[in-house]
Amino acid sequence: MSAGARATSTAERIRAATGGGGAMQGARVALAVAVRDLRAVARARSQLYSSVLTPLMLLVFLGNGVSQGLEPSRLPAGNFTAYLVAGTVVMTSVFSSTFSSASYYRDRDSGFLRLLLSSPHDPRTVLLGKSLAALLIGAVQAFLVLAVAAPFVDFGWQHGMAAGFGLALLTVVLLNLMLTGLAQALATRVQSMQGFHLIMNLALFPLLFFSGAFFPVDGLPAWMKLLAYANPLTYAVDALQLATYATGSGGFIGYGVDFAVLGVLSAAVYGLGFSRLPKLTFSGQ
Amino acid sequence: MTLGPVRSAVVAEGIRRRYGERTALDGFSLEVPEGSVFGVLGPNGSGKSTFLALVAAAERPLEGSLTILGRAPARNVRARIGTVFQENASDPLMTPLEYLLFAGRLFGVTGQAARERAAALLERFGLAARAKDPISTLSGGMRRRLEVARALVHRPALLLLDEPTTGVDPEERKLLWETVVAERDGATVLVATNDLNEADAVCDLVAFVQAGRVVATGSPAELKRGLRKQTVRVELQSPSSEVEARIAELAGGENVTAANGELLVTTDDGPALAARLFATVGAAIRGLRIDEASLEDAYFQYVQRRREGAG
Repeated sequence: MSAGARATSTAERIRAATGGGGAMQGARVALAVAVRDLRAVARARSQLYSSVLTPLMLLVFLGNGVSQGLEPSRLPAGNFTAYLVAGTVVMTSVFSSTFSSASYYRDRDSGFLRLLLSSPHDPRTVLLGKSLAALLIGAVQAFLVLAVAAPFVDFGWQHGMAAGFGLALLTVVLLNLMLTGLAQALATRVQSMQGFHLIMNLALFPLLFFSGAFFPVDGLPAWMKLLAYANPLTYAVDALQLATYATGSGGFIGYGVDFAVLGVLSAAVYGLGFSRLPKLTFSGQ
Repeated sequence: MTLGPVRSAVVAEGIRRRYGERTALDGFSLEVPEGSVFGVLGPNGSGKSTFLALVAAAERPLEGSLTILGRAPARNVRARIGTVFQENASDPLMTPLEYLLFAGRLFGVTGQAARERAAALLERFGLAARAKDPISTLSGGMRRRLEVARALVHRPALLLLDEPTTGVDPEERKLLWETVVAERDGATVLVATNDLNEADAVCDLVAFVQAGRVVATGSPAELKRGLRKQTVRVELQSPSSEVEARIAELAGGENVTAANGELLVTTDDGPALAARLFATVGAAIRGLRIDEASLEDAYFQYVQRRREGAG
């Protein structure tokens, strides 16, 4: 068989496989790509649920909270801007620790996680190192928000400014410990970074809404109050309000319960994270 | 003076490993002499990567015994193992120097010793000029060399290479192997690959692996010994069992294997066989090539013998 004849037959095969080109073929490819992407979304249940549930929760929780809980007489002390600082610090921790924990996925996708896991060290050491970084980033950012806001708002400083900052720092560290532990436990279980962010958003946005971050929990309908007390972020907001905003402890949960809840939950989420450790794998295994 | 017995870096006996319904290793036995460059050769899915995972103490065998550097596999044996994965393991935002220093810290090489070792490796692997550039700016070949340098940073006794030259151009490939062999400092090299020509060029010993079992071991020269001198590679116009049977008949039957869309016929006289094939089934042949016998041919012959034995 001549080289020319072989080249012709190869060209024919390529033409047959690509359908000869043209607009119709382009449309078919575009449609196939669209169908593939739609199928992927349909299979990612969490994405579907999140896209519907998040706006609904925004309406229910924020709408109810603002309309029923935000009369000035219901604020325990000071003005609303001062009240919002604690919630903003908690919100900063939530976002910061979530984004920092995404480095797990970056390391996994770049292959760097393999290097870490091929070392003689326990995978828990690796995870603790990553959590420590996320904890530091989250805590420093959150504490910076508080430090920058403090001179401009009317805080009560019931224990004095230095002690107040100390208690706020302890709260921020405990809160970020819990959040990074939660993020790490999820990261080792959820395959894709998109799925991880969706779950974190789906869980943490509503938790923020009824944590007392944006409006006081007191005076809310009973069902929302119940949710608020089941919400770990409520205890971080409470401790931060006590340390900075409040002029007395009346109407607040109290440091003892706040720190106990945050401490126990931190231990629980780290326990959960360490119960499923990443494994060293080789390609094709 | 008498030489003592050759010690083994890795000894595997009758290993079985399953993942659900899939059997990855099925009575896998192998002995890797200390100081050798040993190739584990086989197609994708043959069990090479699972074996490397066992050697790296990332997995445990369900049955059989495994000894790595004289010990049962455990996480702490990794302190004496360097691993190069099929994909790069570097953080693209780090510099090569930072990467080697970080790897050194993971494997217990720190301070001045780490800095000196990293500088020496960067020099020997031709990366000194790029030591402080982000890894993301290095070429593909440079990144592979950096991976090998990283695996050697703690002077391992055993170097595991998983398809180390996948996607590397021939010139870089040659350079990479030359540097590995020169810089391994007496370490045993265990390389898993499906590139048999590469293994032929660099390995002292090889094992052919198929369906989770070792079907043959020896030096490339030993395994090629006894082969027919040439391999006639026949590409048909279209698959036809009738034509294949006719070719097998012309070739004497037992020397025909199918691989990668071609029929491989081993013979001592390639041109004479080619003439016979063209005279009888020429119209069905798209292309034909005569090669000298290679390690690849040895692999297919051993695999075929095993299939026939199983049949």
